[in-house]
This record gives sequence, structure tokens and C-alpha cells, in this order.
Amino acid sequence: MTTPARYYDGETARVLEVGVRPTAGELIIFRLTDSSIVARWPINETAVLGDGSHEGAPPVVRLGGEARLVIEDPEQRRQLAALMPHLGALAEVPASAGRRIVTLGASLAVLVAAFWGVIDYGTEYAVPWLPHSLQAKLGETVYEELAADKDECHGKGLVVLNDLANELARAAGYPHEVTVHIIDGGPVNAFTLPGGILVFYSDLFEQAKNSSQVAGVLAHEIGHIVHYHPTKGIVRAYGLDLLTKLVSGGYSDLMGTLTSGGNILLAMRNGRAFEREADGTGVALLEKLGLRADGISGFFEQMMEKQPKDAASTAGIWSSHPPTQERIAATKRPPTGRPAFSTADWKALQEVCK
Amino acid sequence: MGQSEGSPPGGEFASALTAPDLTPSRPVYDGRLGELYAIYLRHVVLMLLTLGWSRFWGRTRLRRYLWNHLSILGDRFEYRGRGRELLIGFLLAVVMLAGWAGLMWLAWVHVFHEKPFADFGMFDIFSLSVAVIGFPLAYVGHYAGLRYKLSRTRWRGIRCGLAGSAWRYGVAATFLTFANMFTVQLLTPVVSVNLARPRISNTRVGTLPLVFAGSAGDIYGRYVGYYFLNIVAWLAAIGAAFAIAGGTADRLGLSSDDLLKLFTAPSVRTVLVAAAVAVGVYLLFSLLILPLRCWWQAYWFRYLVSHSRAGNVLFATAITTRQMWGFLVLNYLIILLTLGLGWPWVMHRTLRLIAGELWLYGAPDGESVRQRTDGGSAFGEGLLDMFDVSGI
Repeated sequence: MTTPARYYDGETARVLEVGVRPTAGELIIFRLTDSSIVARWPINETAVLGDGSHEGAPPVVRLGGEARLVIEDPEQRRQLAALMPHLGALAEVPASAGRRIVTLGASLAVLVAAFWGVIDYGTEYAVPWLPHSLQAKLGETVYEELAADKDECHGKGLVVLNDLANELARAAGYPHEVTVHIIDGGPVNAFTLPGGILVFYSDLFEQAKNSSQVAGVLAHEIGHIVHYHPTKGIVRAYGLDLLTKLVSGGYSDLMGTLTSGGNILLAMRNGRAFEREADGTGVALLEKLGLRADGISGFFEQMMEKQPKDAASTAGIWSSHPPTQERIAATKRPPTGRPAFSTADWKALQEVCK
Repeated sequence: MGQSEGSPPGGEFASALTAPDLTPSRPVYDGRLGELYAIYLRHVVLMLLTLGWSRFWGRTRLRRYLWNHLSILGDRFEYRGRGRELLIGFLLAVVMLAGWAGLMWLAWVHVFHEKPFADFGMFDIFSLSVAVIGFPLAYVGHYAGLRYKLSRTRWRGIRCGLAGSAWRYGVAATFLTFANMFTVQLLTPVVSVNLARPRISNTRVGTLPLVFAGSAGDIYGRYVGYYFLNIVAWLAAIGAAFAIAGGTADRLGLSSDDLLKLFTAPSVRTVLVAAAVAVGVYLLFSLLILPLRCWWQAYWFRYLVSHSRAGNVLFATAITTRQMWGFLVLNYLIILLTLGLGWPWVMHRTLRLIAGELWLYGAPDGESVRQRTDGGSAFGEGLLDMFDVSGI
């Protein structure tokens, strides 16, 4: 049996139209024009480069050499492979593309759903098991960056705030120490970082009408900490970013542009869910300790008085917080219970940065 | 500019010549979209399972398919790169970046940590420095990546290659890009020609070098025309967009507050209307801006091809503005609307376009093209992977 093929000698770009004839121990390659022998390759030194699924015509080579033999006709390749099982890859016929697409497409859909589930719901259960030292290290690094050019306040007020923060966290069953920092100045705000780190701006103490409002804000932030919201937020953001890159094959910059909007929306949705959960937990913790729990809604009402046109409501789906009216309604409590701070403690807190 | 099917540009002259041999031929692409999709989907599935670490091997499989289904003069290209080479290249780039991060850390500790630089954090200095070095490094990565790909490409068993320094290319490309930016894009022909020249002239098929004989002066006249027409078209498109948007909002009786409300709490209807408006704006810009851009790109591509040769093999293309529109705009839309999953379709379309529109005149003297002794890059594309993951 003679198989027609194209032969490249590996030294020049010359092409020879050749015939290939297998014998017991050799592959004889000869010119079709005059039957002169071009090469004799010992069968056990031949190999196929690639396979039928990827290569249109996988070349046959002699191991250690640069020469190649290319047989274009699939049927001729199949016949040669039948005579030389060693070159079986020549006969390889890829499975039906349609069947592979259906199977792989279904697998992809299942994997995307599973990945999404792991990111969105898995973090809920997995994040508390992340080593606390790792979370604290991350939180401290971020805090150092944020507070690099700011003045931090110390003194009795900080001790007072730390004590209440840890009391509330313990009441929620949070097993780690909470660390409170106070930064001199504004905005009127507080936030949390991974690893039980809570940051207050001192302007909040000046703007608060009473100590219950500060306790309410503190309880709300403790709600974020005990639910591990900062770490969950980071893990979800990175997870979704990774999913986007993986599904687009890691090729398309366009996808980054297109999906960044979607990722922001998802982050905002997560943000709103976290805020609602922290509001509910904050109020519940204050009530559990027998403290006045009207501070959270009181603080929101004060915000509404200052800015009647609620930014969160206006921003809608683009807001990281729920509408303030909704939050007031959800956290409204009577002014009962004992104050969270004594008069002396409240004074110390108001003067913490002075 | 239309070319009849199967008829080469200038073929009437070519056939009249007896020497040298200028027999026209076209590349042949015989890949199938379904097969390419099956390989691509397998790649994406493995990417998800391995959190992206399989990409080096996936990319290699895709290249093997695309290369080996494209042939010139009846001889298929071969891609003989390996996934592990790409992995090692990537790891080397990570080590390089880690070294850079270490340097930046030292700079921060010894210089910026103390006031008055205290507000300039470690992350700031690292991000800023990466942004600064990332720009030239992306060009270096492009060139080095091209060198790797060519060194793993064979035609008739002969290795291809790319000579020249990637760093020199990176420096030149950065300088030219900034110069073009500061001259409001008026240097584009100079930049295009000077960036194309090293990429083409340094390309080798074995010992056969490609030659690029282009000059910015040749294309300046047409570019200046395109440049000013482009400005006029942008002004017209922006004016029309404002008139249409304003007129529509007025007709619907919508105030700015109403629009804000619609945007922040969108219903399905709002989303559909927004999509319709987006399509309208796209059509408007398509009508006025994109044809002009495609016209220029088609001209530049024809110039680039017709001023390149490989030994006695000449190249030509008669690619039209419409075909360039299909290449630039339709491909972009396919990627966008399929959330990236249309990538194999785009690749398939691109190779079919190349196969249909690129003409070669003559054939190389096989005896005189010899195998080069150097093996090319040992590892591939680390920087390219780090700074730009576009393309295959």
C-alpha cells in the first residue's frame, strides 16, 4: 500500500510529493516522480505530533528530527494507522462537535451556577471559618492606608467605646476581640473593616443629639462585624470578578468594561442586604442588653432632617444603602431601656479628640 | 473597491508576466466553527474548574487548531508551543512584578513613609508605579509574545521567528504613543508605520526575512483628510444625538427628575426603552463615525499588506470598507452581545476573512529558505499575560 503525502526535510522549505510505504520495521518515503528513496524511518522512531481533534492533518515525524510527513487525506491516514498501530493518532476522529458543544455547554452552565452559588451563598458560611488573624491583618493594612494622613484620637472616650463594642459583640456570640479606632474630623460616619475593626469619625459624636444615637450607630456597626460583612463583601467582589474573567475565557477586555457595571450593581445589592441585616442585628443586640434601642432610627431621622432628599432613595438600584425612610421604619423603637453610656462616659466620648 | 470572487487584485498584470513567477494564490482556512467551539468550551469549563490556571494549556490547544487549519500554498502551519512554557513565562512575570513590589516597598519605607509623604501609602506608590511601567511593559510584552508565537510556528517544518529587541520596541512604542497623544493624533501615520516596520521586517520564516517598504509620507495625505472629516462627523453625530435625545424627552413630557427616577428604579419597560435608545445611538454613530474609521483602517491594512513581501513573494489585499466594518464593528458586537462566548465565532470569521482577502503572488524558493539554528524564546508571554490578555 502506498500513501501519498507531502514531505518536508526539516532543513529547507522544499516540499516533496512523496509516497509512503510501511514495511515490517520501517516507513519508506520515496519520490512519486522517480521512486527514489527520500528517507527510511524506523517505525519505533516515528511519532504523530498532535491529534485529530486539534490538527487538520497531524504531521508524522521521526523522533529527534525536524523532518515532517503530512498526509492530507483522512482516509489515507486511517489506512496507514491501521497498518501501523504505533501511529494510531493519525486515525483519530474527533467526537461530533455538536454533541461536545451540548455536553460542554451544559457543564459550563452548571459550573457557572455552582460558582455563583459558592460566591453568593458559600461565603455566608465559609467566611467565619477564615483565620481571624488573616482577616485582622487585612483590616489593619487597609486601616493604615486610610488613616495614614489622619490624626487618631485616644483617651477615655476610646476605652468607653471599645468596652461597649466588645460587650455587644460578645452578646452576639462573636468570638473575637473588636478594635475601635477614632479618627479626628469628618465625615459624620463610621465603618467596619475585616478582622473586627471598627472606625468612627469624631464628627459623629459632635453631630449626634444624644448618646443613644452613638450607641445605635455602634450597634449597627457591630451588626456588620458579627456577620463578617466586610470580609464577605471583599470575597464576593473578587469572586464575581474572577467568574467574569473565567467565563469570557480570560480573553476579552471588552467583557471587563461590560461586566464592571453589572458587578457594581451586584455589590450594591449586597451592600443593601448587609445594611438591612446590620440594622436588625444592631437593634436586637441593644434590646438584648436592655439598652435604649431608639438611637438607630433617631440617627436616621436626624440625617433626613439635614438632607430631606434622601440620596439612597434617589440612587435606587445604584445605592449601597436601602432608602433611609425604610430603615427608619424597620428600626423604630420606643425610648425605653437604660442609656448605653453614663453621663461621664458620654462627656469623655464627646471630648475624645480635644 | 469591490473585487470579484476569486479574482486577485492586479491579477491581469500578474498573468501577463512570465518572470519572475507571480502566480497568485490565497491562504486556505478549513476550520469548522463547531469544532472550534467545542475546543473553546472545553477551555472555559477547565478555566472554571482550575480557577484560570488551565488557560495556558487551553490557549495552546486553540492555537494548535487555528494554526493547523490555515495553509499557504497547500502547506499547513503548525503550532508547537506548550502550555507549560506559557505557565513558566507567567510565573517569571509574577516574580518580576514581585521584585518590583519589593523595590517599591523599600522606596516607601525609606523615602515616602515619613511626612510630608505620609499620605502617600504603599498601595498608592505601587499602583502608580505599575501604571507607569505597565504602559511600556505592555508593548514589550506584545513584542515578546509575538516572538514566542512565531518561534513556535512552523511552515513546511521550518520555524518562524522574530528578531530585534522587545525592550527597544517598548521604548519606541511608548515614545511614539505619547508623542501622538501630545500632537492630538496627527502623528498617527508616523506611529503606525514605525510600529509596523519592526514587527514585519524582523519576522523570519527560517532564514527568509519579511520586508516592509512602507513610509509615513505615502499615507499622510489620506490621513489628514480622514482626520478632519472625522472631526466634522463627530460634531454632526453629537449634535444629532443631543437633538434626538432632547426632542424625545420633550415629546414624552419627561423632566430631568423623571429621567433620574426612571434610571434609578428601572422597570422592564425602562430597560427595553434604554436598550432601544442605545441601539439608536449606536446606529447614529455607526452611520456617521464608524464607516469613516473603517474606510481608513481598510486603506491602512491594504497599504500594510501591499508594502510587505517575503523574498520574491508579494502580498496584496483588496479588503473593502464594508469588510473592515464587519471585522471591526461586527466582531466587537458579537463579543459584547454574547458576553464573550462569541469569541470562537469572531476568530473563525477573522481567519475566513484573511483566507478570502489575502493574495500572495509567487512562491518562495524552498531550497534557499533554511531552518534557523536558534530555537527562539524559551518561555512565552508572561508580560503579555500580565498586562494584556486580549487575543489568542
